[in-house]
Amino acid sequence: MFDDNKQAGSKDSPLEDSGNTVNQYPIPPDRFDEMFEAPGIPRAHWQAFYDLLVSTPNKSINARLASARRHIRDSGITYNVYNDPEGQDRQWELDVLPLVISTDEWQHLQAGIAQRARLFNRILADLYGPQKILTEGLVPASLILGHSGFLRNAHGMKPPGNIFLHIYSADLARSPDGQWWVIADRTQAPSGAAYALENRLITSQTFPELFRSMGVRHLAQYFSTMRDALIYNAPIGDGHPLAVVLTPGPFNETYFEHALLARYLGFRLVEGNDLTVFNNKVWLKTIEGPRRVHAIIRRQDDSFCDPLELRVDSTLGIAGLMQCVRTGSVLVANPPGSGILEAGALMGYMPRLCKVLLKEELLLPSIATWWCGEPAAMENAFKQYKSLVFKPADPGFSFEPIFANNLGQSRWQHLQNQIKQHPERYLAQELVQMSQAPVLTSRTRDKLQPRGIGLRLHSSIASSGNYIVMPGGLTRVASSNNSRIVSMQRGGSSKDTWVLSDNPLGNQLTLLRNSFSADDLVSANSAVTSRVAENEFWFGRTCERCESIARLLRVALRAALYEYEDGRHAPLHAMAISWGLANKETENIEQELLSASTKENHPLGLAGNLRHLHQIAFQLRHRLSGDHWRAVNQLLRHPSFNKESTIDESLAWLDTVILSMTTLSGFALDSMNRDTGFRFLSIGRRIERLSFMTRLFSIACDEGRDSGLTWLLELCDSVITYRSRYMSQPQWLPVMDLLIRDISNPRAMMFQVKGILDYMAHLSPKDPCGSELLLEGKILVQQLDIRHDFEPDSTRLMDALNTLHNSTYALSDELTTRFFTLPGGVQGNWSSPWH
Amino acid sequence: MALNNKVCTYRVTHETLYHYSSNVSQSQHFAHLTPRNTAVQKVLEHRLVCHPSPTEHTELQDYFGNFSCSFLINEPHDELSVTSSSMIEVQITDAQILHHSQAWENALHLDHYQLEPPEIAEMRLPSPYVECLPQTAAFAAQCFTPGRPWSEAMLELTRKIYNDFTYDPQATTVSTPVQEVFENKRGVCQDFAHLMLSCLRSLKLPARYVSGYILNEPPPGVEKLMGSDASHAWIESWSPEMGWTGFDPTNGKMANHEFMTLAWGRDYMDVTPLRGVVLGGGTHKPEVKVNVSRLD
Repeated sequence: MFDDNKQAGSKDSPLEDSGNTVNQYPIPPDRFDEMFEAPGIPRAHWQAFYDLLVSTPNKSINARLASARRHIRDSGITYNVYNDPEGQDRQWELDVLPLVISTDEWQHLQAGIAQRARLFNRILADLYGPQKILTEGLVPASLILGHSGFLRNAHGMKPPGNIFLHIYSADLARSPDGQWWVIADRTQAPSGAAYALENRLITSQTFPELFRSMGVRHLAQYFSTMRDALIYNAPIGDGHPLAVVLTPGPFNETYFEHALLARYLGFRLVEGNDLTVFNNKVWLKTIEGPRRVHAIIRRQDDSFCDPLELRVDSTLGIAGLMQCVRTGSVLVANPPGSGILEAGALMGYMPRLCKVLLKEELLLPSIATWWCGEPAAMENAFKQYKSLVFKPADPGFSFEPIFANNLGQSRWQHLQNQIKQHPERYLAQELVQMSQAPVLTSRTRDKLQPRGIGLRLHSSIASSGNYIVMPGGLTRVASSNNSRIVSMQRGGSSKDTWVLSDNPLGNQLTLLRNSFSADDLVSANSAVTSRVAENEFWFGRTCERCESIARLLRVALRAALYEYEDGRHAPLHAMAISWGLANKETENIEQELLSASTKENHPLGLAGNLRHLHQIAFQLRHRLSGDHWRAVNQLLRHPSFNKESTIDESLAWLDTVILSMTTLSGFALDSMNRDTGFRFLSIGRRIERLSFMTRLFSIACDEGRDSGLTWLLELCDSVITYRSRYMSQPQWLPVMDLLIRDISNPRAMMFQVKGILDYMAHLSPKDPCGSELLLEGKILVQQLDIRHDFEPDSTRLMDALNTLHNSTYALSDELTTRFFTLPGGVQGNWSSPWH
Repeated sequence: MALNNKVCTYRVTHETLYHYSSNVSQSQHFAHLTPRNTAVQKVLEHRLVCHPSPTEHTELQDYFGNFSCSFLINEPHDELSVTSSSMIEVQITDAQILHHSQAWENALHLDHYQLEPPEIAEMRLPSPYVECLPQTAAFAAQCFTPGRPWSEAMLELTRKIYNDFTYDPQATTVSTPVQEVFENKRGVCQDFAHLMLSCLRSLKLPARYVSGYILNEPPPGVEKLMGSDASHAWIESWSPEMGWTGFDPTNGKMANHEFMTLAWGRDYMDVTPLRGVVLGGGTHKPEVKVNVSRLD
């Protein structure tokens, strides 16, 4: 209860201070508020939250907010918005106050969602089978047959287990009378479940005491049930069941979630070109050969699934997938063709369909919807247009929703004419005044702000054949309080959803790791895909390249600031020019080096390479640990990144980069499984280092015979080693021995050679690849005479260096053709001409 | 349409040849090259031959009842030939048409409480390649005047497209939209079929796209029919009285026993004779040869 005494309390009291949290919170009479029954009176299931907010001082609330924000930033949860000025990955927006749902209300929602899923499964089975719904007139035939979501190629499909709908999500909104309505059904690639789990990790840390005491239901079981059902229903044969999450790739707005989902389920994250079809089955292309795929969780729109039979311009799909879907040789959740269920126009027919197909009353109503393709419905909609919103009935003709009450007479007339021309493209929906829920802000006063909210719930089939509903979900928050549409794309935010349970915490599953039962099945299929192997390789190379460039820039910039002990740094300019960091004719090399360190538009500079590294890491995100990812992520958010900077700032920035890069290689050594992916990463790293070292020495011998060698040692991070070993000013012979021949020095060329040969032998023991030139180089180095050849003028040395340098190119090429690329490369489509 | 129990038999060979500028390492194809049986046509013999020969292939009947075939070639090739050869028997129809058929409005579906089969209902609707436009509706309305007999109006629309439009293989591509064809008044059989479908469906009349062949051996003194050296396309429209009846806007006539049906669908997309996804290949040059000869 809101208490006047609290307001009147003394100034130092935390209660007074925190009274502001709920003080001015407005509750308009025409809206349902999730938290408050009336101003200052929280609903029973919110009481604990209310008490906490009222009794917590501002400062400590702000501390919780800050910690949550830090968590989001560090774990890099993103939501990509196409053409977003903020760039490819926009930070996930979360309000830490969850939406709390009482046990009773949940019973109702859960039953309603499960029923809808069951009903939709029946509808799909009928539409892609006997079509009684159409022949008996339960739904106008033209609604289905004229909709772009109805895929004729999917007709007659025999999905494994006879299950047409595996996963189903619904968007709900609550009207002022407290009733929940379904406003959209999602079946093609329903996102949000994994975001919900990520939100949960944060809110449960933000309010640990409430999370425990309120008996919040856990989410993990939903994922394990979903996973078990997929494996259970998948077809069998050709080895262990292999299940994958199919993503359109890192540029998709919810790619982050695809990666999360894959990680939670223990499934492989793949893109269309990781898969291929032959023998009427789907196969995963791995560096060890094809592996049969038994189940696919699909995060691609229907029409992109198969360039052979569907959209010919799709580069994301798998040619031949539809054939496998029809015969049921692969389980696809959900099968292509399920998109027809998202046709909003179906909503108006749901009560009748439910009665006829399930012999049940529809438990959870859809928002009142009229499909203009039916003349009577169009008339109806026109009569009451002021209270309606007009939306596209078919994603093929999409437009922004039109709120008819905002239209003047002439614009309404115009819209009416448009609708009459193509009535089948429009549907009219009743406008719901969404409920509001408080969001917690860091303001001093009015910490609670009301925002419109919508709820997305998720369900999946279980092995038992029943649909289960995730006890939680993604609550979506409008960006301002009067928004009528909640959408992450429009810059809204999200909340966790806390469903309260009757029984106190008992044997609930905890998040992740402990709970999965089918681990052995999934982890048995660990062959690395060609695409991942390639990304690992380039991740290794690019890490190493960033480090080398950073060292080069650091040494060169330092040389500009103060001279080295031995006073000569002419070769540094040659180096910078050779690596493309500075122009040969440059007047102001210092300025160029500065720009090469921090500016992204420098073509070969450090910042550009870091951006590239970030992109590769993004592709590999499902294989990188959080720490890995953070190390890369932080650099791009560094204040110096892509800014003009002074020498001092640049040097500090270069120190940071070098530190991060060594940290990264430490992570790799310390926390990565020694699997094939790791080998590719290591090979990449060593090839890059060998390439750098050989070029470095060629230039050093050419230009630097009269210069000191400290800079050379520093570039190779071997100053300390040298000093402790030789206790003298650097001289050619010991320097060369240390950096070329010393097999125990991880910076030495021969160390790289040995590593590459070892890893290659692991990759393909029978026929280690790319080794010819490398072996030749190795022998040339071994044959060098320490007395005559370890000096800049030796032609034998130059010869060995050149051979090794060239071998890095040959190796890279051979790896590419042997493990990475698909035969032929580019995929093209064509259709026959006609006359 | 009156049938007189007489038949004629054709031998059809349809060859598609692709020359790729660089090797194709793997290719997958989806073909609608197997003729179907219809009320007036019987397929006596059919063979589909590919070079190089497919590693595997699957035959199936599609949503519309057409025969399709998908196949995979798993060896490097820079040339692909797909040859479909068939022997088809077609019933000979009397050339004249019923000018006294019912009014065209009877083919509309006005009573929504009366259900109609989905296969007719869906052919009243726009489809990926057939958009319904105010222009094509107005164009059609000139022929479909109130109360006019269905077949008379149909034939007039067929002739109107034939007269007002110019056959021009350079004018369009596979994906030229109906609107552009209508504005430029040029195209090939596929364009005219799509255009006519747009006209009819704008009026809510059911009409479907037919892919097939026409006889290319004209009797002496008669001009060769357009599109006879390649696969052809025309349309069929439905009326309660006459069922599905074929009209060929490219040649301005009704379809008769000189027309052999491969497949039908909503538009070209549903029945593309041959489509494919190839790895590699660079640019490619397709060549299509069709030969139809009458055997009796």
